[in-house]
Amino acid sequence: MKAETDIRGALREWVLKTSTKITAGELKDDMPIIEERIITSLQIMDLILFLEQLTGRSIDVAQLRPGVFRSIDAIYKNFFEDGSDER
Amino acid sequence: MQPLDRLVQKLCDASRKQYLNPYTYLEWPRRIGEDEWCMTPEFISIYGTDLYAGLSQRQRKRLSFYEAVNFFSLNIHGEKALVEGLTQRLYRGGNETITPYLHHFLDEENKHMVYFGGFCMRYADKIYTDRKMAIPRQFAPGEEDFLFFSKVMIFEEIVDVYNARIASDERVAPIVRKINLIHHKEEARHLVFGRDVVKRMFHTWAPQWPRETLQNIRDYLQAYFVTTWKEYYNPDVYKDAALQEPYQVHQRAFSDAACRAHRRAVSGKCLDFLVEHGIFEKGFVV
Repeated sequence: MKAETDIRGALREWVLKTSTKITAGELKDDMPIIEERIITSLQIMDLILFLEQLTGRSIDVAQLRPGVFRSIDAIYKNFFEDGSDER
Repeated sequence: MQPLDRLVQKLCDASRKQYLNPYTYLEWPRRIGEDEWCMTPEFISIYGTDLYAGLSQRQRKRLSFYEAVNFFSLNIHGEKALVEGLTQRLYRGGNETITPYLHHFLDEENKHMVYFGGFCMRYADKIYTDRKMAIPRQFAPGEEDFLFFSKVMIFEEIVDVYNARIASDERVAPIVRKINLIHHKEEARHLVFGRDVVKRMFHTWAPQWPRETLQNIRDYLQAYFVTTWKEYYNPDVYKDAALQEPYQVHQRAFSDAACRAHRRAVSGKCLDFLVEHGIFEKGFVV
């Protein structure tokens, strides 16, 4: 598993590559990326594929709780932190 | 009788006349041979790429099996959402005219899932997972219904090009051809219905939507078009077919020139319809 800073960096890079609505200077880890429509519901599929690649395991979408993609902080907490539910 | 009443009556008559028992229509072979194509080779997602050129015939046929499982899985996921949406709209105020046909639509979509699920579970013992996720939000008046029927239409128009091509391809395993054939025949009615409903809804609601709402709807549907296509490039398929670095294959194939040309060709008729009725503006590239 990569270090936290590398993972957060990869997530930020993915958001910036996927969305045209934000710049690197504006993007913060606690920013509500779905609520602010920086990432749309249709882009979640790409995000799930990216997370599967990053974590090396499949994600069961039916088991995901609302809010797991709320922000980069939430994504890190739910998919990468020790003991996270989604691991 | 109004034009929509006439169309509904005509489609209901055709559905009743061609009513099928999904449990007797197909004779399932015990197994699918490794030397059989399960997908028209030119419609395999990575066809035309360097990676495809480097595969042996045996590897290509193995890949075609998993591509068929993916195609049928996509249909199951699409039809589950469709059945859910259609059920919500049965007998809803304002839908009285179309409700008689919604019953047939629902019945036929359920049968299609019996065919698709039958193939996937018999021969692959699984259905590929659905990675799409809906996030609740507010809609403008008329927007939710319009998006629902437009998404159904886009999904079904792409699928139908595959169905027609695979059904007529003598290289493909008979059971796969037959599933595609029955789907193509029944979808022909759904497509006529879908186009009519989408056109009517757009011409009713679009003049009432503020410019920004209309643009957001266009952007959303165009993103849906792209997402729908991305599901055809499934890393799980590549992994099962023993291709190296499945996620990278998914990304490279989606942006490959040959794959883009394939998507343009398959999407052409649907995009022409959307542009003709002003739902999309010219210049959208999938």
